Amino acid sequence: MRIVNALKADVRFQFKQGFYLVYILLTLIYMVILGVLPVEWKSTIIPLVLFSDPSMVGFFFIGALVMLEKVQGVLQYVVVTPLRSLEYLLAKVFSLTILAIVATVMITLATYGYDLNWFLLIIGVILTSSFFVFFGFIVAVRCTTLNQYFIRMIPYLLFIVLPCFSLIGFPYDWLFNIFPSVAGLKLVYGAFKGIDFLSAAAYSVYLLLANLVIAHYVEKIFDRMATEGA
Amino acid sequence: MIKVNGLEFAYRKSPGKAIKGISFDIDDGEIFGFLGPSGAGKTTTQRIIIGLLRGYQGSVDVMGKERIMWGKDIFEKIGVAFDFPNLYEKLTAYENLALLGSYYKNNSLDKDQLLDSVGLLADRDKRVEKFSKGMKMRLNFIRSIMHDPEILFFDEPTSGLDPVNGKIIRDMILDFKKKGKTVFLTTHNMNEADYLCDRVAFIVEGTIPVIDNPGELKIKYGQKSVKVSFNGDGKLQEEFFPLSGIGRNSRFLEVLNQDCVRTIHTQEATLEDIFIKLTGRELL
Ligand SMILES: Nc1ncnc2c1ncn2[C@@H]1O[C@H](COP(=O)(O)OP(=O)(O)OP(=O)(O)O)[C@@H](O)[C@H]1O
Ligand SMILES: [Mg+2]
Repeated sequence: MRIVNALKADVRFQFKQGFYLVYILLTLIYMVILGVLPVEWKSTIIPLVLFSDPSMVGFFFIGALVMLEKVQGVLQYVVVTPLRSLEYLLAKVFSLTILAIVATVMITLATYGYDLNWFLLIIGVILTSSFFVFFGFIVAVRCTTLNQYFIRMIPYLLFIVLPCFSLIGFPYDWLFNIFPSVAGLKLVYGAFKGIDFLSAAAYSVYLLLANLVIAHYVEKIFDRMATEGA
Repeated sequence: MIKVNGLEFAYRKSPGKAIKGISFDIDDGEIFGFLGPSGAGKTTTQRIIIGLLRGYQGSVDVMGKERIMWGKDIFEKIGVAFDFPNLYEKLTAYENLALLGSYYKNNSLDKDQLLDSVGLLADRDKRVEKFSKGMKMRLNFIRSIMHDPEILFFDEPTSGLDPVNGKIIRDMILDFKKKGKTVFLTTHNMNEADYLCDRVAFIVEGTIPVIDNPGELKIKYGQKSVKVSFNGDGKLQEEFFPLSGIGRNSRFLEVLNQDCVRTIHTQEATLEDIFIKLTGRELL
């Protein structure tokens, strides 16, 4: 299967480029910091970290990943194989999302325990991670160097992350649910603090739709990039 | 195999047309060469046929189907080596082949054998970042043929290679022809084109003024001549004489009779001479 091979290729590439080392280090740092947190803060801070970790890491790693391929010029050679654009993209999404799930489970077990809604947590992390990977891809496509990526992503990042502050209580804060990032954060919080079934279902479905839309869009811009000489 | 008719193409950000209505056919089992100076449109034409540039005018028929009608499956049947040997720097030679190789249905060619064929077997497990340009060129070359494609596109496949490795690549290209594969090659190197190609197209500023067999071109346009160097007026001199009618050429006979000839050589016009003669352009 091409997509499985693409997934394997990505995992190997990420490993060789030292991504996993960075990630393990990051996860350990989180564990240490969260471990010393006062108990009454844990159910507030831990979900926040669990949300920000897969989303940020997905966003940064996909950028680094695509830029590394672009800078080395290998994307041109990937494009002249039978690998479909969607397979290429999904392999990246899967590999980074698996990473996010593993980190989430480890951080949660090490710092919080197992008394929470795991199903909701995993769903929230998967949908958040994949959304941010696609989102990061949109930025990466427009850049030619890694430094350019780190500068250009800032407005994109602010645009998608700032609405999350609506959770601390804004007037009309329900309006912010339009941002997929807010829906993801609410799911992760729901896993710790409880959430009614209807809201959880609504956020999940909305986030899923957001993923489908952005996947379709990214596939299109990827194709365009590929046929204009990556 | 490939039929190009009235092809025109303009890059989006540039005003003029890069390709201005070219037509040519490449037959099954043929080595077809694209020759022209820098900026003539060689790479552009190849990229259109490969499918990396869309929005062209005219028709590009590849294996019986218009190029834009093909999906990704066409890449099972074509192999490409661009003019830059871009590889995964942190992966070894073998891993580079294995990674992209896993995307093809046909994964039957032995990778070690391929590495061996271009003298890279000993470097199989070395990271590509430690490779020289020539080593990368060779790895890039075998990467393009590892799925045993029917049509091969090579953009300057021997540029930057030393003579020994250049010959290895040329011999492999001739081998593909023996196996019935079709090869589309671009080059600045006239001798290489002369040696390899069944037919060459001269491309200049997005047009193709000439397509022919290199031998035919030399017969049609190249005059054979005799180069004589001799001692005259106290220094070494050189003169050229047309080979036809040489026995009746009085100046030639006069030089011979002076008894001061150092060397005599017959000379054939090179493809390069003919290129300059027909297009008025140097091949830089
Ligand atoms: N990406 C691009 N955007 C705009 N114009 C381009 C682009 N690539 C090539 N061109 C222009 O198109 C024309 C043909 O270029 P092309 O690369 O096909 O030439 P070439 O024959 O391959 O030259 P070389 O021998 O240097 O490789 C040139 O005038 C070039 O400036
Ligand atoms: Mg070129």
